[in-house]
Amino acid sequence: MHEFSIAEALATQVLRHAPPGRRVREVEIRVGAMRGLEPDAMQMCWDAVTHETALAGSVLVMDMLPWSLACPACGRVWESPVLFAECSCGEVSPRPTAGDELDLVSMTVDDDDGEPEATAAKGEAGAS
Amino acid sequence: MSEQVKTTRIPIVERVLEANDQLAETVRSELARRGIFAIDLIGAPGSGKTALLEATLRQLKGRRRPAVLVGDLATRRDGDRLARWCDRVVQISTGDGCHLEAGQVRDALTQLDLDGVDILFIENVGNLICPVGFDLGQAVKVGLFSLTEGDDKAAKHPYLVTAANLVLLNKIDLAPYVSFDRSGFEADVRLLNANVPILSVSATTGEGLDRWLDWLDRGVSGAQGARAT
Repeated sequence: MHEFSIAEALATQVLRHAPPGRRVREVEIRVGAMRGLEPDAMQMCWDAVTHETALAGSVLVMDMLPWSLACPACGRVWESPVLFAECSCGEVSPRPTAGDELDLVSMTVDDDDGEPEATAAKGEAGAS
Repeated sequence: MSEQVKTTRIPIVERVLEANDQLAETVRSELARRGIFAIDLIGAPGSGKTALLEATLRQLKGRRRPAVLVGDLATRRDGDRLARWCDRVVQISTGDGCHLEAGQVRDALTQLDLDGVDILFIENVGNLICPVGFDLGQAVKVGLFSLTEGDDKAAKHPYLVTAANLVLLNKIDLAPYVSFDRSGFEADVRLLNANVPILSVSATTGEGLDRWLDWLDRGVSGAQGARAT
């Protein structure tokens, strides 16, 4: 279950980026189909990893990307829920063009006493 | 729900495994500096990862100076098997971990005398899914499949096939006894990774190992040449 390792890495990453003293309400990630990430398992791992930490109760939003297929015959590129799909031109071997995305996209945090400033997040974001 | 709390969405966009990837780069540059060709061997439990390495190390004896890192959930059995053929073996016990991570590789390498080593095998935990996403600092990933697993395994594990620099099909000595559509398997591999070499081998009989060894030799030459320049 690689979801657990990924959840652990994500939690560390979120804490690193989170502005000090601001509660993290929501964490948004983007997941390519190639990754084989199971949303239910990931959710369970997120809850387990963040339990009794500063991230406890935060909502994990997973944007599960569909396969992106390209047809070698006619050049059509489209999104597909399945990897093995026939192209509308009849070609039986469209190829996946991506799918290994696994990115932290955003986090949503409480405002600091009515000061809607997000600049604190910049702190360590630029480190190498 | 408290409606008083105002929130701000902070866009970030950073790879989730960024920390692992950075460690992997550290490992990669250290191995490159030493001219060591590193192979991350990924395959299912029972596909013959350890048997392949045993056969390979036997062939490399006297020709190459190999080192081996072997990931295992709980036992030392694989490490003990490989230590018969190679005096530089480190067993990484992953406990509950279903894959190796770059930090484990970095730590394990500190336990080895790498002077003169030209090839490093990293036997990952038996698993076709979890190990793929974790960069270890290897030069190449090798995806090991076997006849007894069934011919649909490449199609069912697209991430490994896509990421692989070489696909090995093991246990071809069992071809008369199992139903395995080799051309169908190869077509699935090609769909996912058009140019990846596919080599058929038998770790037990030694069939096909010569081509695997040639492939390794080319990798070592590349790593040593890159160091020289």
